[in-house]
Amino acid sequence: MTGRPAGRPLVPAYLSTGGVTRPSRPHLERLSVLARSGEPPPAGLPAAELALLDSLEGGSLAVVEAAALLRLPVSAVRVLAADLVDRDLVLARAPIPPAERYDPDLLKRVADGLRALKLRP
Amino acid sequence: MIELPDLVAGALAAGTLSAFALGGGLARSRRRQNRQLAEIAALRTRLDGTARAFTAEVEHLATQRVPAAARQVAHPHLAVPGPLQPLTAGTPLGIALENAVLALQSEAAAQRTRIDAAAQAGMRGAVREIQAALYRLQDALRGLQQRYDDPELAQTLFRLDHENEQSLRRAQVAAVVCGAWVGLAREESHLVDAVTGGQARLAGYQRVQVHNHLEPGTALVSHAVEPVAVIVAELLDNALRHSAPDTDVVVSLEHVHHGVCVTVDDAGLGMTHDERERAQRLVAGDDPILLTDLGDPPRMGLAAIGRLTRQFDLSVDLSSASPYGGVRAVLRVDSHLLSRLDPADRPPAASAPRTTRTTRRTAPDRAAAPTPAHAYGTEAGAPEAPPGHREPQDDEGDGLPQRRRRTRTAAPAPAAAPARSPARRPEDAAAALGALQSGTAAARAAAGDPGDSPRPHAAADHTDRNNDIDHIDHIDDEGGAAR
Repeated sequence: MTGRPAGRPLVPAYLSTGGVTRPSRPHLERLSVLARSGEPPPAGLPAAELALLDSLEGGSLAVVEAAALLRLPVSAVRVLAADLVDRDLVLARAPIPPAERYDPDLLKRVADGLRALKLRP
Repeated sequence: MIELPDLVAGALAAGTLSAFALGGGLARSRRRQNRQLAEIAALRTRLDGTARAFTAEVEHLATQRVPAAARQVAHPHLAVPGPLQPLTAGTPLGIALENAVLALQSEAAAQRTRIDAAAQAGMRGAVREIQAALYRLQDALRGLQQRYDDPELAQTLFRLDHENEQSLRRAQVAAVVCGAWVGLAREESHLVDAVTGGQARLAGYQRVQVHNHLEPGTALVSHAVEPVAVIVAELLDNALRHSAPDTDVVVSLEHVHHGVCVTVDDAGLGMTHDERERAQRLVAGDDPILLTDLGDPPRMGLAAIGRLTRQFDLSVDLSSASPYGGVRAVLRVDSHLLSRLDPADRPPAASAPRTTRTTRRTAPDRAAAPTPAHAYGTEAGAPEAPPGHREPQDDEGDGLPQRRRRTRTAAPAPAAAPARSPARRPEDAAAALGALQSGTAAARAAAGDPGDSPRPHAAADHTDRNNDIDHIDHIDDEGGAAR
């Protein structure tokens, strides 16, 4: 995005949620993927939730991406997204888990063991 | 010998005559003396009386008139008592005494201004330091908000940020009243951002309803941003403070002929005639501000508004009552303080209320020519864009997701819904991917060498883009789901 205003934001983040930081559904994480459900937004939706819906119009976004786009902290976007999910306006998907990595310690111990086996003819 | 008695008789007669004459003169002189004595006594009495009256007059001046005159410097509504003897008014004495009172008053007024200026300078210095410290604290808090998203911690950070904003507002207002600059340079910003920013600085900001009827992109020039935010915050603070906690304070932003009006209505008690006059005098900013005039504790809001309106050529009107029963405050921002930002390029803050106007309908016209004074009729007649409709964008080729402003519509047509299939249900996504897989597998099997084949997909896609916008929506959605 070009033309991002630099400097101190005029509107503080707590205004977006009215000071609430506890999302109505706790399972939304930083990397949860949000996408619009296609339901038309009802009238009277808070401005910040409309802005979040708008940011999802171009495709789905992770919570952190939406936060960066809206210049809001992740905690605020989680509240907004949870509310929109409750209203069936947004679908949330659990973050794609990173491939199960092996514990490096375990690998090292296995390698050591193998080496030890090899050395002990 | 006859002559002798005659002579004697003549002498006697002459002696008697002279004796009579002498006696008469003596008696006359005694009478005159008595008269003079009486006159002297009368004069002495009068002199005593005058001296007493003079003393009493000076005494009266010292004990009554001088203190009253000194008090009148601070409280102009107090009356200074006149001289004890009303007859002295025109006399040289009366004029001299009057001059003494006037000289005292002018000196007292000068002293008062000097002392107040010193107090303001001291306070300005102290408050500026506090303001700078609070800005640093704000930076720290916002950094923490970005970094930590644990709800408990975020709740605390939000509360601290809000408290900090309120302290900041007080410090800033005190500084402004004491003649300081608003203390923060901002860049050109959307007017609605400045209003929402002002709203956020208050306790009870949840009660404020902002209705934005401005054209998208209506912005303030950089030096007017912070003053407008401060003024709006103070007007809203007054409104919130003087209305019941279960009522809303309504703010509406509207275009007027000479610029933009921010109207703040509360449903509170309203002001009496005197209060309203005083408030109007303060916000006009014509009189110099003295801290001692502002009460204890000083009520600085209106005085700060007065300073800012005078410095930045804004105008605030408090003279009308609100239709909700309380006070209606109108801030007018003239056109020379307004500018225009491209909302697509620099969108307003996420929490700023959307405009009720539709996007890019009058924006180009407005830049070219001033809106006619009665443009309302044309608004009603203008065809509304259907809710699901999206204008084709020229710059859609760069492949990045673009934010698109979407107008808020009260009742979207249900006909648009079927075009946008909810393609992101897991089963659908799986089916789409499965179809794609089987399709590519079939194509690979059919074509011996895939490198040689032209790419019919891309070409079809391109023509579709020009024909069917809804279809693009569909593709966009699937692209989004696949990411």
